[in-house]
Amino acid sequence: MNLREFNRILRQTLFLPILLLLVLAGFIIWQISETSAQMRWIDHSDDVMEQTLRLEKLVIDQETGLRGYQLTGDIVMLSPYKTAADRIAKQFTVVHDLVLDDPAQQAHLANVRDRYQIWLGWAQGVLSKDPAVVNGPRLNQHGKELMDDLRAEVTAMMQAEGHLRREREQTALHIERRELAAVLVSSLLVGVALAIFTSSRMRRVSRTYDAALAELGHQAEEIYERRQWFQTTLESIGDAVIACARDGKVEFMNAIAQELTGWPMQEALGRPLTEVFHIINEGTREVAENPVERVLRLQTVVGLANHTALISRNGKEYVIDDSAAPIRSGDGKMTGIVLVFRDVTESRRSEAALIAAEKLAVAGRLAASIAHEIHNPLDSVANVHYLLENETEPVKRKEYLRMAQQELTRTMQISRTLLSLYREPNAPIAVDLKELAEGVLLLLDRRIVQQGVTIERQFSGNCVVEGFPAELRQVFTNIFVNALEAAGKGGSIRVRIESVGAQELRPSGTVVEVTDSGQGISQQTSENLFQPFFTTKGEDGTGLGLWVSNGIVVKHGGSIWITNNDDGYLTGARVRVYLPTRTMANAATRTTVHVR
Amino acid sequence: MEAATGPLILCIDDEALGLKIRKAVLEREGYRVLTALDGSSGLTLFADEPVEGVVLDYFMPGMDGGQVAIAMRKQRPEVPILLLSAYVNLPQEITTMVDYTLLKGEGPSELLAKVHAMLRRKKDESGVEGGR
Repeated sequence: MNLREFNRILRQTLFLPILLLLVLAGFIIWQISETSAQMRWIDHSDDVMEQTLRLEKLVIDQETGLRGYQLTGDIVMLSPYKTAADRIAKQFTVVHDLVLDDPAQQAHLANVRDRYQIWLGWAQGVLSKDPAVVNGPRLNQHGKELMDDLRAEVTAMMQAEGHLRREREQTALHIERRELAAVLVSSLLVGVALAIFTSSRMRRVSRTYDAALAELGHQAEEIYERRQWFQTTLESIGDAVIACARDGKVEFMNAIAQELTGWPMQEALGRPLTEVFHIINEGTREVAENPVERVLRLQTVVGLANHTALISRNGKEYVIDDSAAPIRSGDGKMTGIVLVFRDVTESRRSEAALIAAEKLAVAGRLAASIAHEIHNPLDSVANVHYLLENETEPVKRKEYLRMAQQELTRTMQISRTLLSLYREPNAPIAVDLKELAEGVLLLLDRRIVQQGVTIERQFSGNCVVEGFPAELRQVFTNIFVNALEAAGKGGSIRVRIESVGAQELRPSGTVVEVTDSGQGISQQTSENLFQPFFTTKGEDGTGLGLWVSNGIVVKHGGSIWITNNDDGYLTGARVRVYLPTRTMANAATRTTVHVR
Repeated sequence: MEAATGPLILCIDDEALGLKIRKAVLEREGYRVLTALDGSSGLTLFADEPVEGVVLDYFMPGMDGGQVAIAMRKQRPEVPILLLSAYVNLPQEITTMVDYTLLKGEGPSELLAKVHAMLRRKKDESGVEGGR
């Protein structure tokens, strides 16, 4: 049920009874007015009787005045007679007006008036006589008879009005009874109707209320289930998840987050994130910026800086990789922050192991190449030794010794190169990239000659950078071997090394550019060049070469670009390595790969 | 140097100095030695001269020892070949095709022993199967 229907029913149960009661009140008022109208008629009869009696009294007063005069002959005694005359005329009008509604009473009044006029005519006759003779028995008898007639008529009128009044009283009583019955019946009807209506409405409200309750219950259950589902999902995620309110107080942690931080959720709830999620820079050991503050400031998803370590409550340290994102409500308002992070300690270790593996592979390849290089002169020296043992002629012995010396010099040269390969300083030192490249090319010389590859060298500037020579040698060995393989038999490689000045976002340094005459690289290959285990060499490659090389160059603050050459001279790939003159430890320069 | 009369051996190696020294060692043992600095000139000599044995370096620019050996086997399969290498791991198909292999640096006595054995075997085989 919706709220609107509920309100409608409420309105019905309120307004309909009021309307019904108003109608009932109107009916009762009407009934009362009926009764009062009837009561007014009774009052009217009373008025008629009162005014008629007053008229009679006035006439009697007049008669009394006349009688006084008759008895005394004194004119003064006539004063009431004269005073009454005017008032009687007026009183007749009053009574006449009162009985206008009743023809019978009008007839009675006309008779009274006639009788009065007769009596008055007689009275005038008395007054016109000599005062001495006005008190005769006959005269008096006649006057009395006239007056009796008048009184009889008044009495008849009074009786008629009295009868009328009684009739009216009866009617009023009847009406009153009828009204009482009507009011009682109508009130009863209204009461019953209201009871029925209200109960039906109430039943309906109750029904809809029940339905609404059931629906709400269902919704609550659904919401609970959904909540459980989200909770389970968050709990099941392999990454750690922490949700915070806007003020940075922890509101939720999943199991992994609890495990990594060492804080059970019950204890962490409501605490500031910085207390629970204690992160530092792995290198400097300084406290890292609170991700909540960062999200509040930037209002967007942020990743943590590299080399962030999480110190758990029990002091255990995890290298983590994480991101923090604002939680937004439906209207886009930021209501909190969610942190997602994972323990990358193991993967960092495996990464380090991969780098070590590639180092070993490079070393292994170099060792094989060196063994070959050394075995050749060793063979010669052993042969010379054999010759010397059996040779007595001084000129020949001298010649053999010269040959042996020549081979030994070559061996020394090779072993020196080998030694420098593994003599690694702790801090970066000045490395002449031209020299370094020549050293690598020397080690690869046999292979270069065997493949008949032409090496073109274009060196300019002093080309000295700060760095770790063994690592850089590993990079260039990798790049040159790739170029040799790409160039193939009879191919050519151009090695250009030049100092470059500072540019925007790039300090001065040296660029080593190696271009081969091979097929170039495909788009698909270019996308994977720096991925570990990606190789185009099948069983012969570890797939780690460029990945490790890139890591080394980035560590030196440099960058690698690999593109297809476009100067029209050589057709293959062009690898450009930029290294800054002064190395920037841990500077992360993004490696870009373009294929044209 | 007195004129040698021993079997004619062809030595092929791109290492000029090493080749020169190896030639001296073999000549001291009485072999006649022809030398070539790469595979193709070696094959020319092999075709033109009555070579009785070949001492061949594996790792060379241009044609490597394996390719040279295959070409020689096609021309004259009876001529024994000793393959020299600084590598421990040579391709299986090459090592089974040649008669002997020798790791460079094993010393002249080993070289001479293998050359000697190679030529003796050739002589034995031609003696038994010469009538065919």
